[in-house]
Amino acid sequence: MGDRMRKKTKITIDPKYILAVILVFCIILGVVSYRFADKLTPIRSAVGNVVTPMQKGVNTIGSVLSDKFDYLTTMKETVEENKKLKKELAELSAENKLLQQDKYELQNFRELYDLDEQYAGYPKVAARVVSSDGDNWYNSFIIDKGTEDGIRKNMNVMAGDGLVGLVTEVNKSYAKVRSIIDDDSNVYGTLLKEKENCVVSGNLELINNGVIDVTGIDGNAKIKDGAEVVTSQISDKYLPGILIGYVRDLKKDSSNVTQAGYLSPVVDFSSLDMVFVITEVKDSKELEEMLR
Amino acid sequence: MKRYISMTLLIVLCFVAQTSVFQHMELTNIIPNLLVCLVSISGFMYGRKFGMFSGILCGVLMDFMYADVIGISIFIFVLVGYLNGIVNKLYFKDDLSIPLLAIAVSDIIYGLLYYVCNFLLRGRFQIFYYIGRIMIPEMIYTILLGIVLYKLTCWLEEKLYPPQEVPLAKGEKN
Repeated sequence: MGDRMRKKTKITIDPKYILAVILVFCIILGVVSYRFADKLTPIRSAVGNVVTPMQKGVNTIGSVLSDKFDYLTTMKETVEENKKLKKELAELSAENKLLQQDKYELQNFRELYDLDEQYAGYPKVAARVVSSDGDNWYNSFIIDKGTEDGIRKNMNVMAGDGLVGLVTEVNKSYAKVRSIIDDDSNVYGTLLKEKENCVVSGNLELINNGVIDVTGIDGNAKIKDGAEVVTSQISDKYLPGILIGYVRDLKKDSSNVTQAGYLSPVVDFSSLDMVFVITEVKDSKELEEMLR
Repeated sequence: MKRYISMTLLIVLCFVAQTSVFQHMELTNIIPNLLVCLVSISGFMYGRKFGMFSGILCGVLMDFMYADVIGISIFIFVLVGYLNGIVNKLYFKDDLSIPLLAIAVSDIIYGLLYYVCNFLLRGRFQIFYYIGRIMIPEMIYTILLGIVLYKLTCWLEEKLYPPQEVPLAKGEKN
């Protein structure tokens, strides 16, 4: 107690004033970080360089442990699973054949719509998801590749066949990715068959049902549920022709000019582990010059 | 001083855990907010200044790693630390009700302020949805882990500052 009393008399600033100073400081910091986002990157990486290796280490330990744990599952389960998997394999290979056919069809459509430069042709770098956003509000995550591996800002990120998001920040050994389901994310898309433009935006409220918003489709266009949406040519950051997802439940807006509905993404965002970063940045200089 | 170092280590540890391990331990897509717990605990256990210190640390970690605009989380965390520091007067070590209540209220305050700063200002008005879907479940999960963290902090405190027998002054009678 005596110790505490002495401390109180030594420092005489009222915490109220400290709070006020911090508030002012935070506002200044907010404005500065908003205006000069690029210049703050070194400071950000100072924090990240300390924390990211730890997160990576924890993740490695976790995956090693879960691997070991998997070995311990009993033989019986494995045999049963094997039977089940064989059956599934048969089903899947049948399904695969159907999908192959669909793929040819898709390719034909792409050719028809000048989308021949497919995502399959883009150069890619594989990366592992190290950590996710620390709270329940946003959907961004950190990957374990950075400038050293050729990652740059505004590169597109994919998983499997679908679009995951955009690299928003790069440091030496890690990068931050904002996913398309983030409440703050907007992507210009095109309906593949109908060639209508739309805007795909993340929505925290909807993602629990596995869908996000799609808006701004021409009101007169007739679109079936399940139509494919790919990234659009007119987007300034996303490369064209990357599959985003499938639309459903389109309805006319109150204005009657546009339609809006839901989009179910192709990527399963709840279990992202490996992603691919397309190491090609969309050159939007021409677009910017046109706008000027 | 030892207290500051131990709290710093604890916060970094919890930050790493929250962003990596707990992403796999989510219940109904919700992860607990360990950092709010720690800020709250340091507030009601050691007063406003210490609460604000923890708040700054947590805010800096969160903002610099994940936020686009730096400053919002820092301020929310600092405010939570400050408010908990006021509760310091009511706090007794053996009573578990104040810590639980403080952590619960802190988490709700954090959620509400975060909603106002980041969602309401962008025109997302469905506050009750966010309360029901995110804030309340997060609060429950956070309280559960808050008890563990609180006990851990108490244990650390005892290790760092072992309770000493105060030698009686000569004139004093027992």
